Amino acid sequence: MQNQPAASLSNAIGHADRRWLFKGLGLTIVVIALALIFSLINPRFATITNFANVLTQASYYIIIAVGMTFVITSAGIDLSVGSLLALITVIGFDLIKAGMHPLLGVLIMFALGGGIGGLTGLLIALVKIPPFIATLAMMVSLRGLALLHSAGNMHYGLPSSLTWLGQGDLLGVPVPVIIAFVFAVFGGWLFNHTKFGLHVRAIGGNREAARLAGVPVNLVEVMVYVMMGLITALGGLIMIARIDSTQATIGTAMEIHVIAAVIIGGTSLFGGSGTVYGTVLGALLLSMMTNALVIAGVDYFWQLVVMGVIVLIAVAIGNLRERRIPTLSHVLRRVPEDSVANDQGR
Amino acid sequence: MDEGGGNVGATTLMRVVGLQKSYGGLRAVDDVTFDVHRGEILALVGDNGAGKSTLVKALAGAHAPDSGSIEIDGQSVLLRTPRDAEAAGIGCLHQGLGLVDALDVPENVFLGRELQTRIFGLIPQLDHSRMRARTIELLDRFGIHLPKLNEPVMRLSGGQRQTVAISRLLLQDVRLVIMDEPMAALGVEEGRRVLDLVRSMREEGISVIVISHNLEHVFQLADRIAVMKNGRLVGVVETVSTTRDAVVGMITFGQQH
Repeated sequence: MQNQPAASLSNAIGHADRRWLFKGLGLTIVVIALALIFSLINPRFATITNFANVLTQASYYIIIAVGMTFVITSAGIDLSVGSLLALITVIGFDLIKAGMHPLLGVLIMFALGGGIGGLTGLLIALVKIPPFIATLAMMVSLRGLALLHSAGNMHYGLPSSLTWLGQGDLLGVPVPVIIAFVFAVFGGWLFNHTKFGLHVRAIGGNREAARLAGVPVNLVEVMVYVMMGLITALGGLIMIARIDSTQATIGTAMEIHVIAAVIIGGTSLFGGSGTVYGTVLGALLLSMMTNALVIAGVDYFWQLVVMGVIVLIAVAIGNLRERRIPTLSHVLRRVPEDSVANDQGR
Repeated sequence: MDEGGGNVGATTLMRVVGLQKSYGGLRAVDDVTFDVHRGEILALVGDNGAGKSTLVKALAGAHAPDSGSIEIDGQSVLLRTPRDAEAAGIGCLHQGLGLVDALDVPENVFLGRELQTRIFGLIPQLDHSRMRARTIELLDRFGIHLPKLNEPVMRLSGGQRQTVAISRLLLQDVRLVIMDEPMAALGVEEGRRVLDLVRSMREEGISVIVISHNLEHVFQLADRIAVMKNGRLVGVVETVSTTRDAVVGMITFGQQH
C-alpha cells in the first residue's frame, strides 16, 4: 500500500539514519564549505599532505566518537575515555617495550579496555550510579592509575609491526584513515541494522518501555560501556602507533573533543536517537578546525576555548531542532500541528 | 449456555471464578466471577476505586490474585507474570502506552521480538524490510492507516500512537486484549478510529475487555457491560437490553434493577 520507492530507499540506507541523512546532508555541506573557506584563507590548508594529516588526526577521534555515539544514544555519557586511553596505552606500551609479544600486548590493551568499561557499565546499570558521576569518578581514578604507573615517564620506541598501524599507508591512503573508515561503516551497521543497536536506541529512548518489551536493559547498558572500553583501546592503539610514544597525560580533554563530535553530528544528548554518519562528520569538522587554527598559528589555549564554544553551539542547535527551547518551539511547531490536523481530518 | 452476547457465537474464552485480591485490609477485588466470550467486546465500568484496574491487572499477570481461578478454553491457567499472560494469549494495553518515542513504527511494533536475517548465513542483522512488510500487513488487516512508518513515533498524534501500541499486541497471537481507557485524551475523530479498530479486532475473533469512564463510548462499542462497585461485580448486562440510566444506577447504587 505504501509507496514502494520510499520503502526500498529506507531499506538501503537504514531506518534510524534515513531521517538523519537529510540533516547529515546539511552537516556535509557545512564541512565541505569550511574546507573551502580554510583553503581560500590559507593555501597551506589545501595541500594533499595536510589533507591526509587532517584525516589521520581525525581517525582516532572518529573511532572513539563512534563508540560515544552508542553511549550517548543509550542516554549515558562517558567522561573517562581520555583517562582510560592513557592507562591502557602506558601499560600496553610498557609491556611491549619490556619484550612482550606485540600481539599479546595489544590483546592485554583490549582486555583492559573491555574490563574497565564493563566495571563502569556495572556501576551504572546495577549500582545505579548516574553515568555522569560514575564516569567522572572513573576519569579521575584512571588518570591517577596512569600517573602512578608512569608519572614523568615518556614511553617511546614501538616495533615497526605496530607503528605501521599509525604511520603506514595502503595505496597512498594512511592506514589509520582506512581503519577509521572501516570501523565507522561497521559502527553504522551495528547502530541501525542489528538487534543490539536497536536495543541501545530503545533503552535510551524509553528504558521502561524497552524493559516491558523484553529488552534486557541492564545487559545492553553494560555492553555499551564494554564496547566503549574496547573502542578506546583501539583508538589508543592507533594513537600510540602514530606518534610512537605515550605518557600518563595523553588523552587529556579528549572526552570533550569526542563528545563534541557526537553532538555536532546530531545525536541527541537526551538519548534515543543518534547518527553514526553525523558523528564522523562532527569529528572531521573538529579536526579541520583544529588544523586550521594550528596552521594559522593560533595558540593551543585558544583552541580549547573554541572547542568549548563549538560544543555549546552544537547543543543549542540540537535543542532547537528537538524543540526543547520553549520560546522558540512556538515558532517551529508547524510540523506536529499539521499531523494532528490531518489526523483529525480537518 | 447463557445470553449469547451480541452477534457473535457465544462460546466462552475465559472464565473467572471467585477472584479475590486485597491490599492490606482493603478488598480491591472481592469474589468476582464472570465469563468473557470469544470475540466479544466487554466493557468494564465503575467509579474510581471500584476495583476495575486491580481486576484487569490480575488478568494481565501484573498482580497475582489472592484466590480464585482463571480458565482459558476450559484450561486452568496461572497468571503470575506478564509473560504468563502473553503465553496464554492475553495482551494488555497500558495507559502509559509503552512506546519508545525515538523509534519508528516497525521498530516499536517488533521491539523485543525482532525479525532477523543472516548475512552470508552467519552474521545476524535486523530484517527491516520484513518487519516493515509485516507491520503494513498488520495495519492493513485492521484497517489502520498511518501516514509514515519511518518516522519516530513521537511525530505521530495521540490516536496514531495508540494504534501503534495496539499493533504491538496484535503481532502476538492474542485472543484477549485488555485496554485501560484506550480513548482517554483523544479527540473525537481519533477516538472514533480507535473504536473502529477495537471493532475490527472483534471481527478477527479477538475478545476485548475495555475499561472506560465514557458511557457513550461504552454503549457504542460493547456487546456486554460489566459493572463493578467497591470491589464486587454488580452484574453483567447486554448492551442491547439495557439503558444508560440502568447502568448509571448500577454504578451508583451497586444494584441490578
